Amino acid sequence: MKCYAYIIVILGSLWVSSTLSAQEQGGRLSGSLETNANFFVRDSLIGAANTPQYDRQLFGSEGWLNLNYSNWGFDIGLRYDFFNNSNLLNPTGSYTDQGIGMWYVRKRIKKLGFEAGYIYDQVGSGIIFRSFEQRPLLIDNALYGLKVDYQLSDNWNIKGFTGRQKQQFDTYSSVIRGLNIEGYVQGDSLGTWSLAPGFGVVARTLDDASMNSLVATLNTYPTEDLFIPNYNSYAFTLYNTLSAGIFSWYVEGAYKTEDAMNDPFGEIQRGDNITIGDKFISEAGTVLYSSLSIAPPKWGITLEAKRTENFSFRTRPQSQLNRGLINFLPPMARINTYRLTARYNAATQDLAELAYQVDVSYAPNRKVSFNANYSHIDDLDGVKLYREVFTEVQYKHKKLWKLTSGVQVQNYNQERYEFKPQAPIVETVIPYFDFVYKLDRSHNVRFEGQYMLTGDDEKAGAKQDYGDWVFGLIEVSLGRNWTLTASDMFNIDPGKNSPVDDSGEKQSLHYPRFDVYYTTGPTRLALSYVKQVEGVVCTGGICRLEPAFSGVKFSANTSF
Amino acid sequence: MLKKYFSFTVLALFILLSFSCDEVAPVLNPGGDGPTDDVPVEDQMRQVLIEEFTGVRCVNCPAGSEAIEVLLNTYGQQLVAVSIHAGFFAFPYPESDSELESPIGSSLLSLLEEPLGYPTAVVNRKHFDGEEGRQVGQSTWPGYIAQELEGDPAVKIDIIPTYNETTRELAVDVDLYVEENVTADDIRLTLFITESNIEDPQLTPAGVDTFYVHKHALRDAITAFDGNTLSEIFTAGSVVSRSYTTTLPTLWNANECHIVAFVHQGGSTLDVIQAHQVDVVE
Repeated sequence: MKCYAYIIVILGSLWVSSTLSAQEQGGRLSGSLETNANFFVRDSLIGAANTPQYDRQLFGSEGWLNLNYSNWGFDIGLRYDFFNNSNLLNPTGSYTDQGIGMWYVRKRIKKLGFEAGYIYDQVGSGIIFRSFEQRPLLIDNALYGLKVDYQLSDNWNIKGFTGRQKQQFDTYSSVIRGLNIEGYVQGDSLGTWSLAPGFGVVARTLDDASMNSLVATLNTYPTEDLFIPNYNSYAFTLYNTLSAGIFSWYVEGAYKTEDAMNDPFGEIQRGDNITIGDKFISEAGTVLYSSLSIAPPKWGITLEAKRTENFSFRTRPQSQLNRGLINFLPPMARINTYRLTARYNAATQDLAELAYQVDVSYAPNRKVSFNANYSHIDDLDGVKLYREVFTEVQYKHKKLWKLTSGVQVQNYNQERYEFKPQAPIVETVIPYFDFVYKLDRSHNVRFEGQYMLTGDDEKAGAKQDYGDWVFGLIEVSLGRNWTLTASDMFNIDPGKNSPVDDSGEKQSLHYPRFDVYYTTGPTRLALSYVKQVEGVVCTGGICRLEPAFSGVKFSANTSF
Repeated sequence: MLKKYFSFTVLALFILLSFSCDEVAPVLNPGGDGPTDDVPVEDQMRQVLIEEFTGVRCVNCPAGSEAIEVLLNTYGQQLVAVSIHAGFFAFPYPESDSELESPIGSSLLSLLEEPLGYPTAVVNRKHFDGEEGRQVGQSTWPGYIAQELEGDPAVKIDIIPTYNETTRELAVDVDLYVEENVTADDIRLTLFITESNIEDPQLTPAGVDTFYVHKHALRDAITAFDGNTLSEIFTAGSVVSRSYTTTLPTLWNANECHIVAFVHQGGSTLDVIQAHQVDVVE
């Protein structure tokens, strides 16, 4: 806490002294505020129960106030974070704390730059290192340390960094260090092609407590599963973007030295008894990733492929789910936005994944556009994990109305993604539409409709998972400030996992939602009544299982 | 040209420095046998409590339970295990008939904080450095148990049960032998009844196992769920005694029941000082 006090005093002094002459010196203060408040209303029928918020706390909130100031060639900033009975860190738990969640000081002296404090950065596409923030999942993997960069030439830059990863208002004990060289090479004087190569290396030194814990666990393993763990593990990456006319081709190859990792589906055999669950393994890892974009007139084509083997890279092997991630593996499925098309998400697999994705868009004129996407994800043994075909057609009529429609077809390995044993591959077909009609210059009305047709679970004698859903939404925009939304997600044909009543009958439940949004300038306020079914929530390629929600939400966002 | 050479030199130097020294590997010492037979209270060593939170609908919990059995084989009497069926995954199946969901489970969950996921456990009710809370994942249990087993016990616990098979009345005398001064303001004694070898459905990776054998499942507390306050001053050489009586419900198999006693701090600290377990029927 003393450390925070010093930081506040230093930054405060800078501000106070700078405000006197900020105008003359060209000082600039900017910032943003984001806050959420949740009022929990218990509904045990949909599973919104048995958490501290539903049982006794009834209210939870979280917020972030970000302040940035630039003057005299310095960039400084800090962020105040607060969490009051928040379920963001742990969806079934409660987290309360507050303090300075982030601060930084940046300076550039000619070709040398440095940054101290909480650093957000990445190497390449993030495969060996990415420190980032995802508030919806309360991921904040900032590196608390120092970064120095030097401009070797106009087109070549080198940076080195070291520190420890942020863990709420503390840090993990393992030390991370890394180096990254990036460049730009113009192919010819006409600029018809260019290269943007890079090389990076990141190392993690395991702290003694984590190593002692790892050794104690290994001591309980059968002899054939034992291994000598390493304190230091190294990840290397080599990447390049080739740009030539309408083509842009990114390719990255990464290698990680032998490192202890947790296999959630590990098998431990003792006598005739085989236990499946968490098990430490020690393997070297690789990732190969490539993305090719082609953009001829009216067309947009993207091909992506990725092969991942044993590439879980964390501050310590004991960290699980979205904790302690040093790197970020790019997701290989489309990020969907409609309620039902986004219900089943393919979380990135860091131990074994072979995937490719094709995305094609075509806009013959200003009125019509087409988009099609195909995702294909297996593990390295050829087990099907995820398939998705997504199509979309958009038609605009004289700025008066716009219709977006299409079909999504999914195969989703629920057993693997959600640890649900014996669950079959969930098969869905979802037709959808989104229609916006402009009533006048400042009034719009929007309708959304989706229907999820789910496959049969023959073993259970019921529809898979929750069965069939229908979703409808109406949104009215009243002028520039107000937007009202009403929607309902209805479990029209319940499935194996749908709630049952006292007589054991599956229930067709409604999950309504009502929102009021008020927007003025950069400020947006939202008040919502929500009943939400449990599901996997993803941001980027990182997902987690969220329990059902029932209650009222309020949020406020602004920037200045 | 010089700049290019410079960059490659920096790169080569960095890689060389990274690998320049071989590290000294940690030493593994697999196996180990703690005392399995009852030892007299004067020979009692440090004994650690692990409270596992589990549920019949938790697919990964059998792996956690198996890990605890391995640890019990390793540490013997030095490890006292309690499996608490509570929380999100503890909702019974229609065919569940052993009432595994503990009546004090939700109170213990709120006392010891909700976990991020199951299986999960609390070791000696401690909040270890680097952990988000007291609840810790399966892969960390052996390390924290080993850490907590270091040193000598500040208090040794003797439990003397007297069980009447006819009335099912259980009398428990507990003597606490204070070996070192304990200066905590709020010292408490908690007594649990656990039961082993309960056959009842459990979700496993192979589906619902109707004949799954549950071990050391928490049945109830003889004291308050968060312990009874001990008003005595814990000075070395003193003995603190308490007596309790309770009647076992007919659903419980007394021959498979255990009495778990542990001395711990109250208030916000909760750390367990010493734990001990004996069978109801010796």
